[in-house]
Amino acid sequence: MTSAAESVAGVVESAVAAAGGVFGVAERAIRAGRIGHTAASVYLRIKTPRWWDRLVGNDPAARDMSGVHQRNAEQILETATALKGLLIKICQVVGTRSDVFPQAYVRTLSRTQDRLPPRPFEQIRAVVEADLGAPIGSIFRDFAQIPVAAASLAQVHRARLPDGRDVAVKVRYPDIDDIVQTDLTTSRWICQIYERLDPQPMALLPLLDELQKYLALELDFEREVENAERIRRMFANEERVVIPAVHRELSSKRVITMEFVEGIKVTDRLALERAGVRPRRVVEGLLAIYNQMILAHGFFQADPHPGNIFIQPGPRFVIVDFGLAKELPKNFGLGIFELMFSMMTYNEAAMIRAFRELGFRTKTGDESTYLEIARRMIGASEDGAFRGEFTEEMTDELFDAIRENPIVEVPIDFVLVSRAFSLLSGIAHTLGHRANILDSMAPGGDGAAAAPR
Amino acid sequence: MRLEYTRDELLTSHAYEEPLIAGDVLCHGGFIGSGYVSPRTLHRLPAIGAWQDRLRREGLPLLNLPTEYVPPHYPSYEQAKYLLQEGITDPITRSLTIISIVEGFGARIRDLPLPDLHATFVEDVGGTAIAHLGGGLVEAHARDEAGHRREGGHKQMWEAARDLGLSKPELPGDILLRMMMGRRRPERRREFPELPAVTENLVAFLTGVMIIEIVAEDVFEWAKALLGDPEVCRQNRAAAAMVAHIQQDEKAHVEYLRTALSEMRARTFVGADGTTHVPGATVVDRLFEVGLRGIVSTRPREDRERLREEIHAAIEDRAEASRIASRFEELDAGWTFPKGEDEKLDLLLETAAAPR
Ligand SMILES: Nc1ncnc2c1ncn2[C@@H]1O[C@H](COP(=O)(O)OP(=O)(O)OP(=O)(O)O)[C@@H](O)[C@H]1O
Ligand SMILES: [Fe+2]
Ligand SMILES: [Fe+2]
Repeated sequence: MTSAAESVAGVVESAVAAAGGVFGVAERAIRAGRIGHTAASVYLRIKTPRWWDRLVGNDPAARDMSGVHQRNAEQILETATALKGLLIKICQVVGTRSDVFPQAYVRTLSRTQDRLPPRPFEQIRAVVEADLGAPIGSIFRDFAQIPVAAASLAQVHRARLPDGRDVAVKVRYPDIDDIVQTDLTTSRWICQIYERLDPQPMALLPLLDELQKYLALELDFEREVENAERIRRMFANEERVVIPAVHRELSSKRVITMEFVEGIKVTDRLALERAGVRPRRVVEGLLAIYNQMILAHGFFQADPHPGNIFIQPGPRFVIVDFGLAKELPKNFGLGIFELMFSMMTYNEAAMIRAFRELGFRTKTGDESTYLEIARRMIGASEDGAFRGEFTEEMTDELFDAIRENPIVEVPIDFVLVSRAFSLLSGIAHTLGHRANILDSMAPGGDGAAAAPR
Repeated sequence: MRLEYTRDELLTSHAYEEPLIAGDVLCHGGFIGSGYVSPRTLHRLPAIGAWQDRLRREGLPLLNLPTEYVPPHYPSYEQAKYLLQEGITDPITRSLTIISIVEGFGARIRDLPLPDLHATFVEDVGGTAIAHLGGGLVEAHARDEAGHRREGGHKQMWEAARDLGLSKPELPGDILLRMMMGRRRPERRREFPELPAVTENLVAFLTGVMIIEIVAEDVFEWAKALLGDPEVCRQNRAAAAMVAHIQQDEKAHVEYLRTALSEMRARTFVGADGTTHVPGATVVDRLFEVGLRGIVSTRPREDRERLREEIHAAIEDRAEASRIASRFEELDAGWTFPKGEDEKLDLLLETAAAPR
């Protein structure tokens, strides 16, 4: 593990320790039991028919599993919705991977990207009043009891300040630290059992490790406010980028009060077209904005899932949720660029240099591992030639390759950047376009003027 | 003279006695005797010569960009040398790095969608550069710029020239930021809506690349003078030689582009409806002029302003900043595009001369 990752893991542990005791043994057991039950049902529903087929000599591949997948997806969604926390995070990841998981899961689980049943308002009020030190009615002129969105770690309410301005108030669930810890423990436990049961298990544990790193970052609201302000300053001169301004005096460790922003969900193609926004413009603009953050400025909002991006006519790009933002090392952007470039030209010496510069390490010093990784990524791109898009297929292949070559040490920054690019690629594909990073950063701008098409 | 070549032929290099190695990076091209020979030119250069000969035999003119239209590099050699003498290296490092990146992007030419070129013109295109665009010319160009497999291309050669001349300078952290800044350009307007979009894009793209390649001539002269100057650069001979190799490689690009575009001028484009006809000279000349105005008049003005600011910001950090700044400005010769907004450009043409 890199040192950054270690310190993050440390943060999670201490956060959990600090909150220890509040969350009872019984709650913990109930959560664990429910998750375990769901996991077992899903696993058996998939495996039993296959075992049966093998027993009677049918071809297991020929069986139509869509009904099974649908039932599984619904059960997972139900459990996740009831328990929230980490499970929602996992569902969100599945919900953006239309190319990895069967459609039934993607369609069903992507619902976790916006609407979940909210927590009772009293819980929310308690947090706001405790943290802001006054009754809710004296701070806000109105405060909607029904939230705009209930997400995995927090929920967002619309409210109005005494001076009439509309704000969004993001409130962390009071018991979230414990929930996250229980879910992590339970999921880890389930993964271990699963790996023993399945002769060819998917490598879920490393995924869980990654998730744990991000979660610690996302739980710290003061950091989130800093992040938002920094990116807001970055785009101060760009009218097309909208980052909600934060009311610092009404924010705390568990509460963020910010300007209320509106827009069309970025993947809602129909609504975009109805508003006269061309999906191609959305893809180009979004990519240009992320390139600016990642490659040019080296500081970025690392969670561009469709629930965090809204489009206003123009198009203008509204970005919310800075829970996960990351400062990159100096010239990391150049490193990413060099890697893409070497893959585009199949230049192996350059690939090795790029991986090394990005902070990859092989424990044995055997650098052919890098080539194996790059080859597999290139192989997973659309026509077997890398042209500048980090598709979801490619990042998946990348992580598979890394997992299968346990001698490699991967910089967390790289994980976050490639995840962000693959999320953007997912959005682009939903809108019927491609997210070509090289095109977008090429001289000539957003890729509109110079890019041949 | 042969007018038909296979893709493999157009991509074939000479048998070099020695490869070109830049720093510790293997690059393309190589040496025969004491001379540098450009990559993939064993058949490519003779082929371009043959197509140009054919144009000449048919009495057709060759596209040309007069040198007085080409903006000089900013900062000038004198200004850049002065900055280096004052120990201000970052702006120069940045410029050279951005040049290397932009060269690398030249490989994107291979993603240019090509229409069916036989159906694009009323006349036959057999035995022309046009017919060979997709058959090796564009691919060779792409490989020259960005490198291919084991061999580095111009991208790596520029990096080597920079590292030789400036003794492997530390790269400032804002190179990509500067490169991407102010780079947003409005979408190009369709000039010939009666043509298929892919046809107009092709011509616009090729004219754009040809103009950029010619404008680059001045960048080469600038870089050779600066990096070749023993007063400011360490391994000045090696650095300038590297730039000269790149310059030599680019000849093939300018010549195939100018040939293909001149062939297009002599033909007739078929419209999107299949019946409308548009004279090739009308299309090529118009798009050439639009491209030229954008690339050599508007763009240098903006880029110059941005660079000037950037350089002054770098000077600011120095003791004696104001003395350095005013000396730097004194050395500025300035430049304006010689033609007004509505003035007609000189007809960019010369009778096809013997191929160089
Ligand atoms: N400033 C705002 N104005 C309007 N709506 C907002 C604002 N901030 C957040 N929202 C809404 O609330 C939702 C959840 O907010 P946010 O993404 O910040 O929470 P989260 O807990 O970090 O969610 P997740 O991590 O699941 O994305 C957003 O998807 C958006 O719909
Ligand atoms: Fe070049
Ligand atoms: Fe070139």
